[in-house]
Amino acid sequence: MSARGYLGEFEHIVLLAVLRLADQAYGVTIRREIEARTGREVSIGAIYATLDRLESKNLVQSRLGDPTPERGGRSKRFFCVTAQGVSAVKHTQRALRSLTEGLALLRSSL
Amino acid sequence: MTQQPSPARPPRLAAWLVDLFASREQAESILGDLSEEFSDLASRSGIANARSWYRLQSAKTIAHQAGAAFHVAPPWTAVALLLGFLLSWFSAGLPGQLIVALLRTQRPYSSRHYEAYVWLLAYGIPIVSITQSLLIGCVVALLARGREMVAAIALSLLRAAPIAWLLFIFFGRAPLARPVIPFLGPFLFSRALDLIGIVIGGVIVRKARSASASRVAAT
Repeated sequence: MSARGYLGEFEHIVLLAVLRLADQAYGVTIRREIEARTGREVSIGAIYATLDRLESKNLVQSRLGDPTPERGGRSKRFFCVTAQGVSAVKHTQRALRSLTEGLALLRSSL
Repeated sequence: MTQQPSPARPPRLAAWLVDLFASREQAESILGDLSEEFSDLASRSGIANARSWYRLQSAKTIAHQAGAAFHVAPPWTAVALLLGFLLSWFSAGLPGQLIVALLRTQRPYSSRHYEAYVWLLAYGIPIVSITQSLLIGCVVALLARGREMVAAIALSLLRAAPIAWLLFIFFGRAPLARPVIPFLGPFLFSRALDLIGIVIGGVIVRKARSASASRVAAT
């Protein structure tokens, strides 16, 4: 997120995916949600690098779940968006809406 | 008695590399996510497909984690790198000086163990040199907490840059116009060993820290 409070494009996408998944947001589900909704193929590494950055800015929080056998006995790391994260999403959405408002080109293609 | 088919396992080398490059806090979750997707893909499209998917995802994950290392802690990683570079620069001649000093104190020319001294002169310097690089790799990795491998590899690349420049000058000219560089082959070999030593230093520190963190988590 920039100093003025706007999110980067991928940060914005990841935060929205985490918000949609609610308490089921971890690496695998976030990746699938992004792919299903945007058609964009993303790697687990890209998601974790972004979540790490968002966590360092206090926009998301994480907690470890229990280890499961299908994950080779490793735990899931669940993510949730903080109040600061929600306000960053709103701020960015408002900016994007304001930019697209009144664009005839977009209205006809959507 | 019929044998149960063993469950599909992800490629070990790829998993080992991800564990090495991912930050310690994230390594377990990333490997768990990759394993979960691997199992799912193996049951849907076969083990061969799942394995190639896993390798590709591992490569992408390593690239992202390496980039993130500089993004998350740029000043501290840069300090570790600078210190490592200065250490390796100022101690470059140390292995040779050490072996020669050792030989002088032992007076090999008057000794009956002449062959041992010749061996020490021929192989001692590379051995001390790789040990020195290994220690420098350890120091850099210790400083770059959580980003050990990225710092060690970056230092290796930094040290390789002048050698790459030398090779560029050498092979960039026509064969007859090439400068005469005595012992180019052995020189390149010893430099390559130094670079590998730095990376191995990073691996040692990273693995030691992971093992220590696992022990703490288990207790």
